[in-house]
Amino acid sequence: MKAKKIVAVVSVLVLLAFMAVAMCVAYIKVPGTYENTTDVKALLDDPKAYDTEGAEGIAEIIVKENLDKTNAMNDVASIVFDFRGFDTLGESFILLTAIAGTFVILSVKKKAKKEGSEK
Amino acid sequence: MKFKEGITEKNVIVRCGADSILPFALVFGLYIILFGTISPGGGFQGGVIVAVSALLIYLGYGYNDASKALNINVLRVNESLGAVIYVILGVIGVAFTANFATNILYNLGSAGDLISAGTITFMSYSVGYKVMTGVGLLLMLMLGLLAPGSDGETDEDDEEEEA
Repeated sequence: MKAKKIVAVVSVLVLLAFMAVAMCVAYIKVPGTYENTTDVKALLDDPKAYDTEGAEGIAEIIVKENLDKTNAMNDVASIVFDFRGFDTLGESFILLTAIAGTFVILSVKKKAKKEGSEK
Repeated sequence: MKFKEGITEKNVIVRCGADSILPFALVFGLYIILFGTISPGGGFQGGVIVAVSALLIYLGYGYNDASKALNINVLRVNESLGAVIYVILGVIGVAFTANFATNILYNLGSAGDLISAGTITFMSYSVGYKVMTGVGLLLMLMLGLLAPGSDGETDEDDEEEEA
């Protein structure tokens, strides 16, 4: 039990330290992912100011910039695991919560069954 | 009434069907996990396809053999391991560019290789591992309700009481 508590405290401290580092870095300079990119709202307001002659038009600009920003091979992967990485984290933790709930409900049922059989 | 007690008898036809489908399901699911970042698919979808093998084993061999093959404690530990690896890979991005889950280490191979997209690839693998073991664990827990006198869950209860 003590080892578990120590591990939990250490991991929370490491996470807090990383958050502090992130806040300092973000205060000094803008995160690198959003440097030198097209403003999407300006693009939608005035599309003729940009080069939209390609086959896909505006969508091609956004897709190519996503790949340049994240250095990924696939645009969907660049969104799911880079821009929305935190969203994917919560999405996969839904499963963890579901399993915790199942454990609780099934163990309660098992205990009730055991007591019933003993009586 | 036979349905409520779960599958205990081993039917030859069902077992042969499960045996013949199982390798293809495993290989297909692992392929989808491995190529999730450079082709359609991904960790979540491939993980669910692999986890369905628990149902196939249950249909072919019954709960006792399935619980021996897929131990609930091992699955639980491995699922937490996948979650921890995902968080670590995401926090590495914070150290470099102050964004959670930023892509780094991206010049590892030529375009289109398996490991060519940087940490995105490994995050996808960790999600696939987590979903694969997590959905398998859910299926085994629910199948344990059907089986009469299963021993997989009583161990869990004893451990929790001790702790």
